[in-house]
Amino acid sequence: MRLQIPIALGFLAGAFMIVQFFVPYYALQMYYEQLLDWAIIIGAFALVLGLGSLFRSHIDKIRSRHPDYIYSFVALISFAVMFFFGIFYGVNPRTTFDWIFNNIQVPLEATVFSLLAFFMASAAYRTFRARSVEATLLLVVAVIIMLGRVPITDYIKFVDIHGFSEWLMSIPATAAKRGILFGVALGIVATSLRILLGIERSHLGGGGGAGR
Amino acid sequence: MISRLPLKTIRRLLLPTAALCLLLGSARAQQQPVEFPAPERLAVSDDPEDLAGRQLVVKWHKPAAADAVTGYRLGGYLVYVGESREGAELSPAQVVPDPQKTETLLSGLLPSKSYIVQVGALYIPEQVTGELIDLNAVAYLRNQGAVEAKSARSGPISPVGALFDPKKTNVLIATMVYCAIVLLAIYFAQRGEMYIRPIPGLEAVNDAIGRATEMGRPILYVSGLSGITDIATIAAMLILGHLAKRTAAYETSIIVPCNDPLVLTAEREIVHQAYIEAGKPEAYEPENIFYVTDSQFGYAAAVDGIMMRERPAANFFMGMFYAESLILAETGNRTGAIQIAGTDADTQLPFFITACDYTLMGEELYAAGAYLSRNPLLVAQLKGQDIGKVLLAAALVVGTALATLSAYLGPDIVKAFLSWFQI
Repeated sequence: MRLQIPIALGFLAGAFMIVQFFVPYYALQMYYEQLLDWAIIIGAFALVLGLGSLFRSHIDKIRSRHPDYIYSFVALISFAVMFFFGIFYGVNPRTTFDWIFNNIQVPLEATVFSLLAFFMASAAYRTFRARSVEATLLLVVAVIIMLGRVPITDYIKFVDIHGFSEWLMSIPATAAKRGILFGVALGIVATSLRILLGIERSHLGGGGGAGR
Repeated sequence: MISRLPLKTIRRLLLPTAALCLLLGSARAQQQPVEFPAPERLAVSDDPEDLAGRQLVVKWHKPAAADAVTGYRLGGYLVYVGESREGAELSPAQVVPDPQKTETLLSGLLPSKSYIVQVGALYIPEQVTGELIDLNAVAYLRNQGAVEAKSARSGPISPVGALFDPKKTNVLIATMVYCAIVLLAIYFAQRGEMYIRPIPGLEAVNDAIGRATEMGRPILYVSGLSGITDIATIAAMLILGHLAKRTAAYETSIIVPCNDPLVLTAEREIVHQAYIEAGKPEAYEPENIFYVTDSQFGYAAAVDGIMMRERPAANFFMGMFYAESLILAETGNRTGAIQIAGTDADTQLPFFITACDYTLMGEELYAAGAYLSRNPLLVAQLKGQDIGKVLLAAALVVGTALATLSAYLGPDIVKAFLSWFQI
């Protein structure tokens, strides 16, 4: 029963979702929207679990004097400060909460995002070392694409680098992308099917898959 | 008698009498009611475009004498609707501000109910500058002397909903064919073993776990930044189940930082069950599966921190990733961990290919669960996927051939073929 009930519920909910895609009738669409609302409500409850996990994880680190427990203090104090200002002074524009968010959270996130440029450079350096045919091909194509994106190549008259770069992006790259997307679409349907039919049960505690 | 009156007296009486006659005539004219013609030939029908059964099409004709009403102009129309039952009143549902427009859609109705519809033409005094913009303007204009002339009622009528969207016939057929192929493959799988091509990224999973066990370091598992409603996250959770069962056997720690509370709850349960199935429930460490944040780069920073501090021997990045993919993978690369990534985000694949040792591309992410389990039923599903791909490839070849030949056969044949792939 521990397995059968979740499988049955999953099958019914999944089958309903498939049917509602093909049946536009109002009543079905109404129930579909209700199911989505339920998902949002369950998500809201799960947030409490997430916060519980966050607190427990950091409190445990502080209690056990983990080598980096100072960061746990920072996380908990930051949470308390944002919670205090959010609950008692609101989250609207021009509130303290909004000020902290815009002047601390946003710049911090932007800092992490900006690391991407350096990581790209280091990853490109490592990958583009022409040690194999594939790596050499990758290097050549990357150089053409990069040249095709910079204005200085406008002055090169004897070869149309812009045009070749565009062709590479719109024909071979797009063909490869679409090939991947076809496979993804089929994989999604097959995965959904095996979950709906209860063949895949690892998420319910059947790590080996079906037949258990 | 008049002839007996002197001419002078007649002249004196003539002017006041004429003035009196004019005055009386004018007063009589003012007492005559102005005729306000109502919209004509009201017709209500179901909206054939609305398959949900929530709309009616209302059509009428502009009153023929609307422009002849002295002192008033036609400001627009009010559409009234009410249920067709005893005592039910019609209420204004919509405003049509353009007097030339004689058709509107009534939405928000229910297919299970019958409705009566009526249309009113609103005549606004010429000296009033206000316009019939919406229902709120009606009360103001009435206070300013606007007069309404209502048409005859039409109905009862119910909107009709459809039980099938004919535009999706091709999707239905394709889905049914593909499902049948997968189910047939599963059926035939029970008769014998099937060959599946080796996927290097998944072959390396055992090596990664072995490496972590030998080094006494944990494994880091990141299941993407999407929520539980994303099929890529579900695929990632299925892989986690298979992986956790193997790490449980070797008692190797697995760290799973989550960015979605629902994913956290599901993954805790999955890992716990995997440890129970592996016969090592005491080795399960729930504190290793924890919630971090739902902020994209906050999460990336936290996972980077874990990689630098805990130095996991193997990093798994499975699921849906966005701009943080390279930040995670490149940091992992610097720690020297063996890295296996899998995503269906085609824009992030180049980053993972660049920074990870093995990358599962697109469909391989969905095949991973079946591949790792080696369960015949799940493996058969991979065969079904392959047959589906062959069919799609055949359709591509046919489409390409038709597009090439369209110069000779005409564009209609290509359009007819393409229409099968459009919703």
